[in-house]
Amino acid sequence: MTSVTATSRAPHGARRPARRKPAGRALLYAFLIALLLVFALPLLWALSASFKSRGDIFSYPPQPLPVPATLENYRGLLGGHPFWGWLLISTVVALMSTAASVALCSLAGFAFAKYRFRGQNVLFTIMFSSMAVPFAVIVVPLFVMVAKAHLTTPYFALVVPWVAPAFGIFMMRQFVEQSVPDALLDAARVDGCTEFGLFRRVVLPLLRPALGALAVWSFLTSYNSLIWPLIVVSDPGQYTLPLGLQALFGATGRQYDLVLAGSVLAVIPSLLVFFLLRRQLLEGLTAGAVKS
Amino acid sequence: MTDSVTTRPRHAARTGPAPRRPGTPAERSWWNRHQRTLAPYVFISPFYLLYGLFLLVPVFVGLYLSCTQWAGLGAPRWVGLRNYRDLLTDHSFWTSVQNTTLYVVFTLCVVVPAALLIAQALNARGLRGRDLFRLTYFMPVVISPIVITLVFGLIFDRQFGLFNATLHALFGFGGVDWLGEPAWARVSVVILVLWRWTGYLTIFFLAGLQNVPRELYEAAALDGAGPVRRFWDVTLPALRPVTAFVAVTVLVNTAQIFDEPFLLTQGGPGESTLSVTMFIFRAGFQRQQLGYAAAAGVLLFVAVFVLGQLAMRVLGVGRSSR
Repeated sequence: MTSVTATSRAPHGARRPARRKPAGRALLYAFLIALLLVFALPLLWALSASFKSRGDIFSYPPQPLPVPATLENYRGLLGGHPFWGWLLISTVVALMSTAASVALCSLAGFAFAKYRFRGQNVLFTIMFSSMAVPFAVIVVPLFVMVAKAHLTTPYFALVVPWVAPAFGIFMMRQFVEQSVPDALLDAARVDGCTEFGLFRRVVLPLLRPALGALAVWSFLTSYNSLIWPLIVVSDPGQYTLPLGLQALFGATGRQYDLVLAGSVLAVIPSLLVFFLLRRQLLEGLTAGAVKS
Repeated sequence: MTDSVTTRPRHAARTGPAPRRPGTPAERSWWNRHQRTLAPYVFISPFYLLYGLFLLVPVFVGLYLSCTQWAGLGAPRWVGLRNYRDLLTDHSFWTSVQNTTLYVVFTLCVVVPAALLIAQALNARGLRGRDLFRLTYFMPVVISPIVITLVFGLIFDRQFGLFNATLHALFGFGGVDWLGEPAWARVSVVILVLWRWTGYLTIFFLAGLQNVPRELYEAAALDGAGPVRRFWDVTLPALRPVTAFVAVTVLVNTAQIFDEPFLLTQGGPGESTLSVTMFIFRAGFQRQQLGYAAAAGVLLFVAVFVLGQLAMRVLGVGRSSR
């Protein structure tokens, strides 16, 4: 009896569905916002520190805001080091890899999804299992091969060996299966479309969101890659952005001030690409995992 | 006027019969007749060409090199299985195996459950700002590892770092030598792994959770199952395919970990954070022991392969889930 009057006196509690407990909600949001800070703070910290003078970066206790703010680090980096050259090489290499892998992966993914051919299962298994070969196994021989062939230029060595990743083919196959109806292909064939024409005129337009996912994934993988460029590119005139920053950081006594400025600038393209194509990327990455 | 004249034929060409219709025998060339059977092979051939050149050939060259002694100049000298024997008694190699095992176990036992927990929180009904949370958590994998480790190097700094300053302000103690003390250096690498990969794995679990039908939960709730019970009996079984995928991916990737220890601690202090891939990198490209590095690569391959197969068996990848 008392409990009934208690609830009827509190109209807010009565109207709300029982499931929503305000305390639980508050806790949930507190948890998620705390995590938000954990993931965002280091980057904001770098942004702030990049505007501090060299001495202020290492002040104690650490100051959250750059007071006084200075552009000295950016000036020092851009004036004294070939930052734009690094950025250019990184971007060109990443764009080349992206264009090639989008083309090759979607072509192969289309073949695996929409054709029945001899040896298909064996070929698919070979392709799929190549994902499990560790990079460390092939790195030494691959380097020897590339070096002996004098092909250590970034435009070859950082692009060609990596343009047809099995992961990309697998992802594209899943998407073609989901989004390209067989009837549409048959109709186009009746109209006299060639097989490559099918790919270009029917499949590619339908695949657009998936292509976005693969493109941003390829771009970021290439743009951020470190170990292989570190091994294969030895000429400082051909450094990619990560190599340039690594050199700046490693060689002459940890130039934190310059590297912080470089980091902030280096992150801009990747964040830009990520935010422009975020939805495609997240959905594309998980498409294969959830289904199989 | 001219507009309508030019658009007409174009429009007609698109919808009407194509100008070159395959039908007249003269136009049906050999390729035209066989293209449907041959096209898939043509479409997949670039991959297999690259696969052969840049994966298959290196694997076999690597197997050969692993039985030689070679500094990169002249001809490799055949030494049989000596590299493997040396590796098994190499203290550094075992240290790197131990460290890598630690990283793998940590990722499987801490990072994966953490990602699942966060996904569960993000999947709450009627949550506001889900996209903002999801994107921010995912952001670390988008950013160049060198930038991340640089920032963490600053944060972990013993004298001036944010971590020690926070510890000092909160608990009155600080001065942890995050990167200079062997045990703490391992902790630092592991924290970095946690920070970098949790959000990435979260999106897989979140996608899996969003595929679980709501009715299942409602039915369980009607049967009187509490939230914990519902998690064990409804969520976990439904998530098995995703969990299996995530676990295998994480296992294979973490076994090859390089960026985090290399950039944060250079494997140090001493060799306390050295990973197997770093060991291979160091042997091959800093000490010019290419044969030795290749042998370590082959061992890593075998380990990853066996563990991957084992994990797939245990977790039932490929078996139907229901």
